[in-house]
Amino acid sequence: MSTSIVERDVALIDLVDRLLGGGVVIAGDITLAVADVDLVYLGLRALVTSVATAEERHLLPRMGNSL
Amino acid sequence: MDDELDLWAARRAPRLLAQAEAQAVAVLRDALVKAARREGRDDPMPAPPDRPAAAPLPTGEIVWAYCVVRAQDAPPVEIEGVAGGRVERIEAHGLAALVGRVPAAHFTAEPLREHLNDLAWLEEVARAHEAVLQQAFAAATIVPLRLCTLYESDEGVRRMLDHERAMLIDALDRLQGLQEWGVKVIVDPERLAHAAGEASPQAATYEQELAQRTGGGAYMLRRRLERHVRERADALASDVAAAVHARLQDWAVDAVARPAQNRELSGHDGEMLLNAAYLVEAQRVDGLHALADELEDDHAHLGARIELTGPWPPFNFVEGAIG
Repeated sequence: MSTSIVERDVALIDLVDRLLGGGVVIAGDITLAVADVDLVYLGLRALVTSVATAEERHLLPRMGNSL
Repeated sequence: MDDELDLWAARRAPRLLAQAEAQAVAVLRDALVKAARREGRDDPMPAPPDRPAAAPLPTGEIVWAYCVVRAQDAPPVEIEGVAGGRVERIEAHGLAALVGRVPAAHFTAEPLREHLNDLAWLEEVARAHEAVLQQAFAAATIVPLRLCTLYESDEGVRRMLDHERAMLIDALDRLQGLQEWGVKVIVDPERLAHAAGEASPQAATYEQELAQRTGGGAYMLRRRLERHVRERADALASDVAAAVHARLQDWAVDAVARPAQNRELSGHDGEMLLNAAYLVEAQRVDGLHALADELEDDHAHLGARIELTGPWPPFNFVEGAIG
């Protein structure tokens, strides 16, 4: 499983941690507030949770059965 | 098999969400149309209420800033940046900011905030920003700017370079020849609990007593044993994290421990004990890999995996980083 969305997402969280949690914070005409960054994490979590919920409710067939 | 399921689920999720949303919208629309028709039998359709006209979208372009370098180092960046824009540089006082033009309609405060809710949009922008930083970083010392640092004009960028000159020059001097590396320590929680239990004389005493008891007494004792092992496992986890961090910290130029990542978000198997960043001399990176291997072997009985990511531009070692 060398190229997968799961792996891409793992990298995305590392990227978000660095790009939004790190980097020099410098005065710009527009910058993100801490609240905006929190919203991004909420959004990430909502996506992950909705997948887990769908799986729990068997909305998603178990792939193993068809293999 | 679980991995495959996760993968499949992750791949399907956006489409399923979109479908669900489309269905919800369709149901809502039908309900509204029905309601409107019912009303229409008696009364003519009510006139839509007066709404203030939405503010027009801003037009033109604004300036997205990627990073700051010394003017004499300013590396050529050939790739497209955020929103497909060419990467340019704006110089002032011996410093250069790498910047690009982005459409104001998407990147001024209000639309920007809305776009942040769109993970696909965020990912595209984050990867474009990172790709430009990586290319610049491969050729020069850089001070990375946080995602979404924007200016209305080139003049704003020059003003920033002027105001922040001392801090930027200090950072460029300090970061010369250094790279950031991410280190995560992940262990198998069952083996962690087992090791914690093995190491505890108290747990052994509980086990012996338990062998002689039955019924309610045994149940209570088992609960107590389980709680004890959990506490010992937490303590062992902190000790391991502290010990690994101390070894790496001694070795690195600088270090920052960050909160462990949420398993739901990162998708890692096991328990993340440490999520840290280290500032390392570029020539000594082989040594970092060797040390990580050694530390992984030291904790093999916990099923430990040490994951390295890098080299990163020094995101966690500039002013304002949440360290």
